[in-house]
Amino acid sequence: MNATTPLSDADIIAMNVLWNRLISVSEEQANALLRVAFGAIVRESGDLSAGVFDAEGRMMAQAVTGTPGHVNTMARSVCAMLEHIPADTLVEGDVLVTNDPWLGAGHVFDFVVVTPAFVNGRIVGYLASTCHVVDIGGLGWSAEGRSVQEEGVLFPVMKLRKAGVLNEDFLGIVTANSRIPREARGDIISLMSCNDEGLKRLLDLMAEYELTSLQPLAAFIFERSATATREAIARLPAGIYSADTTLDGYDAPIEIRARMTIGDGVIEVDLAGSSPAAPRGINCPLGYSQAYASFGIKVAVAPHVPNNHASLEAIRITAPSGLIVSAERPAPVTARHVVGQALPDLMLGCLAQAMPGQILAESAGALWVLAISGEDAGPEARSFASLNVALGGMGARPASDGLSTTAFPSGVGVVSVEVAESVAPLIYERKEFAPDSGGAGKWRGGLGQEIRIRAAKDQALIVSAAAFERLRRGAEGREGGLSGLPGAARITDGTEITSKGLYRVPPGEALVLRTPGGGGFGPATERGTERVEDDLRRGMITQAVAHEIYGLK
Amino acid sequence: MTRLAIDIGGTFTDVVLEREGAIHSHKLLTTPAAPEEAALEGSAFLVSELGLSFADVRTVIHGTTLATNALIERRGAKTAFITTEGFRDILEMAYEKRFEQYDTDLQLPQALVPRELRFTLRERIAADGRVLAAPDREDVRALAARLCDEGVEAVAVGFLHATVNPAHEKLVHDWLREDLPAKVTICLSCEVSPEIREYERFSTTCANAYVRPLMAHYLHRFDAALRERGFAGQFMLMLSGGGLTTLEQAARIPIRLVESGPAGGVALGARVARETDEAKLLAFDMGGTTAKICFLEDAVPATTRRFEVARAWRDIKGSGLPVRVPTTELVEIGAGGGSIARRDALGRLAVGPESASSVPGPACYALGGAMPAITDANVVLGKIRPEGFAGGKITLQPELATAAIEEHVATPLGLSSAEWAAAGILEVGEEAMANAARVHAIEQGKDVTRYTIMASGGAGPLHAVRIAEKLGIARVIIPTFAGVGSALGFLSAPVAYEVARSTLAPMERLDLNRLAMLQEEMRREASAVVLPALAEGEPATISLAAELRYSGQGHALRVPLEKPLANPADAKALEQAFITLYRETYGTVLENNPVELVALSLICRGPAAPLVEAPAADAGKQTTIAGTVKVFDPVRGEFVESALVPREGLAPGQPLPGPALVSEAQTTAYVPTGWAITLHPFGHVILDREVRP
Repeated sequence: MNATTPLSDADIIAMNVLWNRLISVSEEQANALLRVAFGAIVRESGDLSAGVFDAEGRMMAQAVTGTPGHVNTMARSVCAMLEHIPADTLVEGDVLVTNDPWLGAGHVFDFVVVTPAFVNGRIVGYLASTCHVVDIGGLGWSAEGRSVQEEGVLFPVMKLRKAGVLNEDFLGIVTANSRIPREARGDIISLMSCNDEGLKRLLDLMAEYELTSLQPLAAFIFERSATATREAIARLPAGIYSADTTLDGYDAPIEIRARMTIGDGVIEVDLAGSSPAAPRGINCPLGYSQAYASFGIKVAVAPHVPNNHASLEAIRITAPSGLIVSAERPAPVTARHVVGQALPDLMLGCLAQAMPGQILAESAGALWVLAISGEDAGPEARSFASLNVALGGMGARPASDGLSTTAFPSGVGVVSVEVAESVAPLIYERKEFAPDSGGAGKWRGGLGQEIRIRAAKDQALIVSAAAFERLRRGAEGREGGLSGLPGAARITDGTEITSKGLYRVPPGEALVLRTPGGGGFGPATERGTERVEDDLRRGMITQAVAHEIYGLK
Repeated sequence: MTRLAIDIGGTFTDVVLEREGAIHSHKLLTTPAAPEEAALEGSAFLVSELGLSFADVRTVIHGTTLATNALIERRGAKTAFITTEGFRDILEMAYEKRFEQYDTDLQLPQALVPRELRFTLRERIAADGRVLAAPDREDVRALAARLCDEGVEAVAVGFLHATVNPAHEKLVHDWLREDLPAKVTICLSCEVSPEIREYERFSTTCANAYVRPLMAHYLHRFDAALRERGFAGQFMLMLSGGGLTTLEQAARIPIRLVESGPAGGVALGARVARETDEAKLLAFDMGGTTAKICFLEDAVPATTRRFEVARAWRDIKGSGLPVRVPTTELVEIGAGGGSIARRDALGRLAVGPESASSVPGPACYALGGAMPAITDANVVLGKIRPEGFAGGKITLQPELATAAIEEHVATPLGLSSAEWAAAGILEVGEEAMANAARVHAIEQGKDVTRYTIMASGGAGPLHAVRIAEKLGIARVIIPTFAGVGSALGFLSAPVAYEVARSTLAPMERLDLNRLAMLQEEMRREASAVVLPALAEGEPATISLAAELRYSGQGHALRVPLEKPLANPADAKALEQAFITLYRETYGTVLENNPVELVALSLICRGPAAPLVEAPAADAGKQTTIAGTVKVFDPVRGEFVESALVPREGLAPGQPLPGPALVSEAQTTAYVPTGWAITLHPFGHVILDREVRP
C-alpha cells in the first residue's frame, strides 16, 4: 500500500487507527518525561516536547503537551543532526544528543535527544524529545553574554549512548560544568528514558500490525496533512500583507518586520528589514524564529491539522542572515524567546488583513522568565538558583475575552507558589490579577498579574531581567480594541528595571513585577453593560476605566 | 439478610436487592428534580415484589453522580473562598497554561467561586511551617459580617502551606464559627485535601464547600424518606475510592462521592476477581456515553488522588476542575453505545466523544437521531438484534442505521459499503478503548497482556473480546447481572476510609518521632469513620502506603508498607522497595540521588462481603441454542453464520465455540471465531481464546 495506488477499505481503516496510535506514542513519551524529569520548569510547567519521526527524519506526530519553540525546531533537528552523524553509522542502542542552539531549540539550555528505532536491523524511524535543563555552566540564565561560548557548555551532535552503553565522558562534562549537576544529569537521562518508552510502544505497534516500515503510514499522514493545509491556505485571499513591531530590546528598541505572501497553497514570510543581531543575548537563531512564526500562522489558518512535517511544509519563513531573527554563530542567544515569541503576534498582524474579524488581538508575548539566584551570605543563607515564569494576558478573541495570566504563544505553565517556595528560599508576597491591565474592547484582553517576591533569608537576590519584555509598549488591540497595559518591573529600594541586565535586590527589599495584559478586540463601547458591570464588581477593571473608557453611567 | 443497592446515574436508576444470596434487579428512569423519588419507587417495587417490607432491609447502599452533576451544571451553594492576602486569584489562575496548543478559542473552566466572593486575610505561613504573620481576630470579624451581607451558604478556607502548618486555618474556622450562622458550611483545605500545590488543594476545598449544602440536604432527606417507609437499618454511601462510608461522613466531605458510580463497577470487579481466582483483572465498563477501565491486582483496585471533574472543553485533560481525593484509578473514555461517528475536517473517521444520549439516541432508535452511533454499527453488522433491545422496550430500525452510516461515514470516506463503514466505526472505537487501556497500563508499569477482562455495562460485553484481541488478552469474563454492574458492586464493597498527608522530607533525615505521631493520628482519623459503621465483632484492617520519589522529581511512586514506619531499618527497607519499583517502572535507577518521602496514606477497611456460590445447575442440562444469525466478520470480509445463545440456556461442561451471540435482558456478548464459551460455577460467562493449532 503506497500513496499512489488507491487504498483498500481495510487499509483506510488501519491507517486511521495507526495515525491516532502514533500520536499517543508521542504523548506517552512526553508523559514519561513529565514523570521522571527533575527541573521544576519541566515537571511542573511542561517546558518540553516529544515526537515520532520517519526513517528520513521527517516529523510524523508530536505530543499535545509541548511548547512550539521545542516542537517546531525539533521538527528540523533530526535531519540536521543526521547530517553530523549519518544514519548508516548508527547501531541499535545508540542515542544522539546536542544542545547546539542552531541545531536544536535556540539556546544552550535546551537539549535535543534522538533515538533511532530499528526493525530487522534497519532504521524505521526516530523518537526525539527536548527539554530545558536549568543550568549547563557558563553565565547561567542571563542576557549578559557577548558570545554563545560564554552562555554555557556547547555540545555538538554526539552519542549519549553507544550501542546501549551510556557515554559517561559526555555526562562527566555536563556534571563538571553545571551548578546543579545531579539535576542536569537526571534531566538528560530522563530524555533518553522517555524516548525508550516511546520506542517500546512504537515497536509494539509495528509488531501488532505486522509493519516493517513506517513509510506507507508516513505517506498517508503527510498526504492528508498537506492537502488539508493547502486547502486551508487556499481559502485565504492571495496577496501580500505586511506588519512590523518594536520590541524594548536589551536597552534600545528593536524593529521586526514581516512581509507575508499568500498564494498557490503556500504562505511565505520574509523577515528582511528587521534589526541586525544585538551584542547581548537576546538574538534568535532562524530555526527558532521559524518555529514560532509558523506556529502563529498555523493557529489562525489550520489549527485542526495535526502538527507534522507536511503541515509545516506549506509555511516558509526566511530572513537574510545576521539579523536579530536570524542570528549567526557566535551571537549570544540565551533569551532568544524574547524575539521568537514576538513573531506570532506579527504573523497574526499580517493575517488580520487577510482574515478580517477572525484574528485575536496581541498578547503579552514573551514569557517573563523569573531567574532568581541568591548571593552567598554565609552558612545561614547559601547561594541558590531558581527558575519560574511570570505570565501575562492573552489577547481578546473574536468572540470571547482573552485568557488572563496564561502563556501565549508559549505553552509553558507556572510553578505553584508552594512548590517554588519549597525548592528555593523565596517568599512570594503577592500574586494577583492586575486590574485594568487587559486592553479594553468589546472583548477584553486577558489580565496580567502583580507579583512580589523577596528572599526568605537575610540575603540579597540577583534577578535576570533578560525576558522582561513589553515594558514600553503594550499588546495592541484589534478591530478597534485598545492596547493592554505594558509590563512594569521595579525593586522596592526605588530601582526601576529598564534594561535586560542583571539587577540586585538588597536584603529586606522585594522585586515587584506587573506582567503585560492582552489587547482588546472590537470597540469598548460595544461591550455589553452587563459584562462591564461584572468586570467592575469583580475588580477586573476600576471605576475610572468603567466610566471613562466603557462609558458606564 | 436483605440489602438494597441504589445507583443513580444521569439517565437510569438501578436498584438491586440481595436476599439470602439471590439477586433481584430493577431499572427505571432517573428523576432529576428529586433523584430519591425514582430510587424509592424502584426500591419499593422490589421490596413488595418479594413480599417484604422496608423493615426487613438491613442496609441500603447508595452511589450517585449527583455531586458530579452539581459541579458540571453549577447548581451548588453560593460559596465564598478565603485565602492568604495577596493570593486572591489562585483559584482562577489555575495552571496558567493552555491545555490545547493550537486552539486559540479554548475556554478554561470557570472558577467555582467568582472573584467577588474571593476574600483575603492577612496571615502567612512559610514553606517550613514558620508563622510569618498571624491572623487577626478583628479582620475575621469584619470579613464574617461581609459574608453575612453577601448571604453566602458555604465558606471554603485555604491558606498557603496549610498542609505544613494548619494552625491558621483552624483558628480562622473557630472564629468564623462564632461569627457566622450555624447553617453556613465551613470547609478547610487542611481537612478536605491536605496536600501540597495550592491550586489543586483550593479547587478541591471549594468544590467540597460548593456541593456540601446540597448533598447534605439530599442525603438526609433520602434517609428520612426511607425511615418513613419503615427502614430501620444502616444507610451507607459508596465513595470514589471504592469503600463505603456513613451518611454523616459523606455529608461532611461529599467531594469524596464524585466517582461513586464507576467505583461500584470496580467493586464488582473485585468480587468477580475473588470468585474466579483472577489475580490480574481489568474491569471494563461501557455504557451509553463513556467507557471506564480500571486495573485490579489480587482483587484490589488501583487508587489515586488525582482526578478532574466537569471538563469544560471536549473532554480534554486539563479542561476540568482538579479534585484531589482518593479515587479508584480509572480512565474514562468518551466511547459508549451512543458515541457518534463522522468524517472529521481532515477526512479521518472519528468516533465520539459526542454522544447521541437517550434523546435523540442512535439513528436506529427511530427517535429522530440522524447521526450514526456505535450502536448503529453493531446493528448493521448483526451484533445487536433489532428485537428485544433493552429488555424489549425499544424495537430497533436497522434500515435507519444503514442509511445514517452510508450518508455520514461510508460515502464521505470513500468506503465501498455500509458494512465496511460500520466495521470501521467499531474498529476506531475499540481501538480508542484498547489504547486507553494500553496507555493506562504503561503509566502504572503494568503488562496489560497478563490481565483478564471483566466486561460490564450495557455495551461492554459487545466489544470486550475485540479489545482483548487488540491487547493480547486471552480471557474475558461476563459477570452475572453485567447490565447493573455498578449497583451490584456496591453490595460487595467493604466499609473503608482513606486519609493522606504530605510529609515532604529526605529519607536520610526523616523525623521518625513525628511520623510515628502522624501515622497514629491518621489511624485514629480513619478508624473513627470506619469502626462505628461495622457490625459488632467485625474486624477492621489497616493498610499503609508511602509515596516516594528521587529528590528533585515531581512524580512519586506508591510503595505499600507492611507495618508503620518506626525505625531507621524500616526507612532503609522502604527506600530499597522504592528503588526496585522505580527500576520495574522506568527501566533504570539513578545512582547517588537522594530519595524523598512525599506522602503517607492509610486505609482502614472492614471485611469484604462473603462470596455466595450460585446454585448448581442440573448435571444433565445441555446448552440451548436458539438459532443462528448472520454477523459480519471483518477478517473474512463477509457475514458468517453465528449461534444465538440465550444466557439462561448455557449449561456447564463442554465449551461452545464461537462465532456466537450470548444474549440476556440488558446486554449481549459477541464471541467471534477463535473464542469459546464456558459457564463458571458462580454463573459468570467465561470466554477463552482458543489455542491455535
